[in-house]
Amino acid sequence: MTQPPILRVDHLKAHFRSSYFGVYREVPAVDDISFDVQPNEIFGLAGESSSGKTTLMKTIAGLIAPPLELIGGNAQFSFMPPATNLYGADPTQLARIRWSRLSYIMQGSMNVLNPLRQIRSIFRDFAAVHLGGSKSDFETKTANHLSRLRLDPSVLDAYPHELSGGMRQRVTIALATICRPDFIIADEPTTALDVIVQKEVLGMIRSIQREMGSSVLFVTHDMGVHAALTDKLGIMYAGCLVEVGRTVDIFNAPQHPYTRHLIHSLPRIGDTVQRTGLTGTPPNLANPPSGCRFHPRCPLASDICTVERPVMRQVAPEQRVACHAVAGADA
Amino acid sequence: MTALLTLNNVSKSFTRGGLLSRHRIEAVKNVSFTIDNNRPEIFAIIGESGSGKTTLARMILGMQEVSGGSLTLEGNRVGGRTRKERLAFMAKVQPIFQNPFEAFNPLKKIDYYLLMTAMRFGGAADGAEAEAAADTALRQVGLSLSEVRGRFPHEMSGGQLQRVAIARALVSKPRLIIADEPVSMVDASLRMAIVNLFGELRDKLGLSIIYITHDLATAYYIADRLIIMQKGEVVEAGAAREVLSDPQHPYSRQLRDAVLSPQVTAPISIK
Repeated sequence: MTQPPILRVDHLKAHFRSSYFGVYREVPAVDDISFDVQPNEIFGLAGESSSGKTTLMKTIAGLIAPPLELIGGNAQFSFMPPATNLYGADPTQLARIRWSRLSYIMQGSMNVLNPLRQIRSIFRDFAAVHLGGSKSDFETKTANHLSRLRLDPSVLDAYPHELSGGMRQRVTIALATICRPDFIIADEPTTALDVIVQKEVLGMIRSIQREMGSSVLFVTHDMGVHAALTDKLGIMYAGCLVEVGRTVDIFNAPQHPYTRHLIHSLPRIGDTVQRTGLTGTPPNLANPPSGCRFHPRCPLASDICTVERPVMRQVAPEQRVACHAVAGADA
Repeated sequence: MTALLTLNNVSKSFTRGGLLSRHRIEAVKNVSFTIDNNRPEIFAIIGESGSGKTTLARMILGMQEVSGGSLTLEGNRVGGRTRKERLAFMAKVQPIFQNPFEAFNPLKKIDYYLLMTAMRFGGAADGAEAEAAADTALRQVGLSLSEVRGRFPHEMSGGQLQRVAIARALVSKPRLIIADEPVSMVDASLRMAIVNLFGELRDKLGLSIIYITHDLATAYYIADRLIIMQKGEVVEAGAAREVLSDPQHPYSRQLRDAVLSPQVTAPISIK
């Protein structure tokens, strides 16, 4: 705990802003989010579709392009020189950092790999400039790294379409980890895979992360994956972070009513308890509810929830929750 | 006992390739099961992608010809031969698809689908009858016609739209619903509401539902019987909870062990 965090996200705000034909729209997809990621840690981020998970990832990775705009706050990586961040850095500096220190495992491996290039060329495109060395050195390094993910070096000669979904996903993991980056952002890397392959791929992400000691920010909506893989967990709802804590604590003692519902609604094999869905519908981010964004669906909602937005409060040594009802009970 | 749906050694093969490189792909091989007319149930078909689940569903819906075996609904050939037979068949068997946003044309209003189904399959003679049928069906899923009238698909959430898709399937008062991955695109907070709705439809309306999924946990939760498919073949069949509590076939065991339970126990193995 004495180590400084590798990533400190501080009141980060990013909105989609558009103005066409005089109609102005502002969608607060990332709204005042703060959390820390420690070195050698897998930080999970959960939330349903359109809760702003992917936008948060993009903002943290510095991939901000209109209509997405950074409104305020900061995401500071410890490997960046102090007082500079990804948003202010110049392009050459960014190019050095990207992939060698910060890499990205993307959703849908089919769409990530260029279908017209062999895996060998794809590796060269991404990593050769960072690893340096001669061409044959690079080839050996790549082959060694692939074997760590139990991929035969012959996949280097293959085109993406010749590989199965699981193999392609392992190739993208190999691609993201070959430069031994300090920080890896993984956006739903296993969602498109079958359960058996998924378990294998998750085990590989885990083992390679432990071996390199890097940190992973892992985004998925599948709570089973979070339970199996992550050390810490953040729960997002409608662009806000509602609860952060150790994964064990969140699963065993969820505090926020949304988290509580999310955990309790999951069916388990060997358990026949009646599970219920949440009433109401997920909010429209273009016109979010006032106060706490969860209040229209919340069983604990009171008057204050409709007007005042709850702030994050510490409820346990490593657990923070943004909820009026929970903070009231503990205060 | 009368059988609602009977599959007897149903097979489907596709040929791929040109004149010289032709080869056959066996998508479904010798699948047999029966769904009883008097005992409505949720029958789950489980398998990974490429195991033939969807091909089987398309054959039951009459969207694809069987290449071997027989597939009958209440003793008649699935799909029917004439247009009249086909319409009568479609009124009895209705589909629900995976992604509700793709199932509805974004340029058409939602009530159009409900009213057209009522006119064509529900036997509604005029607009008023069609509206009454649509409203009844929507109320069975917890919505009403006044809520959805005039709205486009993009104005509804995924969970709501999937409910409308279920209501549309109910308009013609079917005996059997084929639901192909109906909750995998629905948000976690709404998923269980849809799954519970299937249980209600079975208990209240006496419908049988063929629930195709790769999610073993919801199958355990809601299904009565299930079959597990691998590469087109049924590897294990039986009562859902018995099979999933104690799978016998190596593939079923592997599948079950790969399910990540939402409980923090030991971290995933490093090996």
